[in-house]
Amino acid sequence: MRRFRLTPRRVAVVLAATVGIGAGAAYAATLSVGSWHLWAGSQTLTKGICTLAGTTQSTDTYVTQATPGGTNGSATTMLVRSNSGSQDWSFVSFDLSSCSLPTSGGADTATLTLFITSAPSSSRTISVTPVLSSWSESGLSWTAAQSLSYGSTTTSFTTGTANNVSRSATVTVDVDALIKNPSSRFGWRLNDGGSGNQTTTFASSENGTASRHPQLVINYEK
Amino acid sequence: MKHLSMTLGFALAVAATFAACAAAATLVIGSTKLSAGNASVSACTTSLSATRNVDNSGNVTQVNVAGIPTACSGETLSVTLVGSGNAALGSGSGTVGSCGASCSVTITSFGGTVSASSVTGYSYGLTGA
Repeated sequence: MRRFRLTPRRVAVVLAATVGIGAGAAYAATLSVGSWHLWAGSQTLTKGICTLAGTTQSTDTYVTQATPGGTNGSATTMLVRSNSGSQDWSFVSFDLSSCSLPTSGGADTATLTLFITSAPSSSRTISVTPVLSSWSESGLSWTAAQSLSYGSTTTSFTTGTANNVSRSATVTVDVDALIKNPSSRFGWRLNDGGSGNQTTTFASSENGTASRHPQLVINYEK
Repeated sequence: MKHLSMTLGFALAVAATFAACAAAATLVIGSTKLSAGNASVSACTTSLSATRNVDNSGNVTQVNVAGIPTACSGETLSVTLVGSGNAALGSGSGTVGSCGASCSVTITSFGGTVSASSVTGYSYGLTGA
């Protein structure tokens, strides 16, 4: 048997072969996937409730088709009448600035509550339609109301026939939009599009009893 | 013979070192196959913020994530609506499209109805090449 003789050349050859095999194994295990982006994060929301009512936080009036140039901004009540050709519409709006909501916030729920001081003799359905252009309670007349823009997200509530009761309408989508864009909504119009001559009387923000004022309760996030 | 043993021992040590490197990079991706990879991982953003829209019932209709850096264009954004106790209430994803100064993603499907009142936060995942 021939005796293996270790020479520097043989050492070099063995080393080179071993390194090559090892490097080859490592290379074979390398998967080129390029440069990747990977990021994870979170955002925490703050929840709260904001309640708005009274003359400092709300504006309201009603307009009368029979007296198209008249204004009723200082009245203690608001009328909604169904009579064709002689309708009454009411308007109510709230100032959300005291809620200190950023435009990145939103409404989880929002409820408009109105107090009926004098109910119609038969229950009526009151439509609550967002107003998309500005108005003031001292300047809004029936004529001016015809020039306002109105939204499509109408909701409604029924009056019943009992006096001195509160009725509510869910207005979440409108308030959510108002929070995100404070100049996108200017309250709501209340009207009765039904037939007949029925009048519903609501307390306004000028009413002497604070608990009867129109109220907007917002459950918000920000 | 002594020199041969030393040489072979050294060679085995070198080979073992490479094998260890390869093993460290090994990733199991299947029941019968192995793969390994080296990737450069970075992030195209450091924070995200979302807003959401609701319907009149207070259910989330869409989540809007704006202000995404243009470096994230083409990547996939996953958003999970998180509730109390970090419970996942719903999730959806979208692709960051081509954009100008910054990008945005709108997600409209979350695998079910989610009440906005129950959402206490959002979790984000952003992946892409």
